[in-house]
Amino acid sequence: MKIAEFKISRYKNIVLPLGGLIFLTFLASKSCKIDFSDFGEGIVNGTFFIAKMFPPDWAAFPEMLQPTFDTILLALLGTFFGTILSLFIAFFAAANLSNPWVRNITRSLISIERSIPELFILLILITAFGLGAVPAIIAIALGCVGMLGKLLADTIEDIPPTLMDSVASIGANKIQIIAFAVMPEIIPNLISYALFRFEVNIRLSVLLGAIGAGGIGYELENSFSLLEYHRAFSALIIVLVLVFSIERLSSFFRNKLKNAIVLK
Amino acid sequence: MIEVINISKTLPNGKKLLDNISFKVKKGEFVGILGASGAGKTLTLRSLNGLLKPDSGSVIFKNELGEKVNICTLSNKKLRKVRQKIGVIFQGYHLVQRLSVLENVMIGRLGSITTFRSIFYGFTDAEAHEAMGALEKVNMEHLANNKVSSLSGGEKQRVGIARAIFQKPNLLLADEPISNLDPKNAKLIMKLIKPLSEEIPVIGVFHQPEMTAKYCTRVIAIKEGKIIYDGKPNLSEDQLSEIYGEELSTLALQAK
Repeated sequence: MKIAEFKISRYKNIVLPLGGLIFLTFLASKSCKIDFSDFGEGIVNGTFFIAKMFPPDWAAFPEMLQPTFDTILLALLGTFFGTILSLFIAFFAAANLSNPWVRNITRSLISIERSIPELFILLILITAFGLGAVPAIIAIALGCVGMLGKLLADTIEDIPPTLMDSVASIGANKIQIIAFAVMPEIIPNLISYALFRFEVNIRLSVLLGAIGAGGIGYELENSFSLLEYHRAFSALIIVLVLVFSIERLSSFFRNKLKNAIVLK
Repeated sequence: MIEVINISKTLPNGKKLLDNISFKVKKGEFVGILGASGAGKTLTLRSLNGLLKPDSGSVIFKNELGEKVNICTLSNKKLRKVRQKIGVIFQGYHLVQRLSVLENVMIGRLGSITTFRSIFYGFTDAEAHEAMGALEKVNMEHLANNKVSSLSGGEKQRVGIARAIFQKPNLLLADEPISNLDPKNAKLIMKLIKPLSEEIPVIGVFHQPEMTAKYCTRVIAIKEGKIIYDGKPNLSEDQLSEIYGEELSTLALQAK
């Protein structure tokens, strides 16, 4: 009896969902007219292409330092302004600081922002500001709001209610409550989230660079379209090293901060 | 001086949380509010400084100029002004964990300085000395520069008292100030609160009848939102069992 039940539960929990998933994948690929033989062909072509790019253009590295620096600055400025903007918005999106209506409207706006790709924001901004760094910084900064705004608002809502009451009981106004109760409590989380977002923004900054913001992304895109594959390979190596090292650096600092958050 | 006149609070579903609560507390009194969990003790206390707005009734607070104000009907701005003169000690997490002990004491005067000055930590040297003085009164001056997060429960509560002293209030409220402390620390905190009641009225919510009997000058007992006892702090077994009902047995266990 027990074994029969076990068999049924195993069938229900594993075989059925797995079969369903395979069936759905099959349907999806049929409807998108995916031919699996293309995969093999693509892998072969891709390998040849990478072989063609080798070796990298060593002479291009020094002249790519400036664009790399630009990309980092773009991400840095975008993250900086984005964090400040998100923090400001988070005050309105936290239930313990604002009224329910304002909170829900702000939360909805944050969700809407999260659903708009930064690329789309940049394309709109380019029509307003023209090509260059300014629209990219604004696009990156606005892109922060969807994630940081929500995370910071959640962190603020996690502050113990007795602490908020206790500072309000002294006769402190909203700004003083924010300065003395909210800010000291959320600072480690704030820095940690901002660092994490900086990682995301480095990749974003490379991508936005390719569509007109300048920096290493533009170099990469430009070399490809001029068919300078060796030069493109150099840019690609720089991007990989950049993204990897920023991620390591950021996670190192975030781990340090984690102790501060846990040991509160 | 504070006077509570017929305050009531009812939930939308008709349940009465506070039912015509009235009492008056003068200088020199240390009032302990007792009652079972959910009886309305904390709600009563919270309505005294406007954290809770009762549906009806009034809370009359006499400030130092002798003006009488009704806390229940004040605008936010005026309420903040009144709160500067009401010190509150809470239970548990009521200090800013990441700031130092001294900074937490100084927060006691946030209400009376301008927003601009407070944001830039513009406390004067005189104020800093005064804050140190308040810490000395609770024997915490040696930890002034430590972060609050590194303190024990009893030490945190002493910082809370120092903050209330530094605030120079005309009324002190304490919401279960000793509930999460061991008996030794609880006694210490009660001994620190007691002398404050000689200058200003002190009203506290407690869960320990033996503590209120020892330190308070008057006890108010609340049951199901109503005052059922108001008088001398020494309560008999029968009175206690009336106040606490079935909770009494667990309370007796705690006392041991």
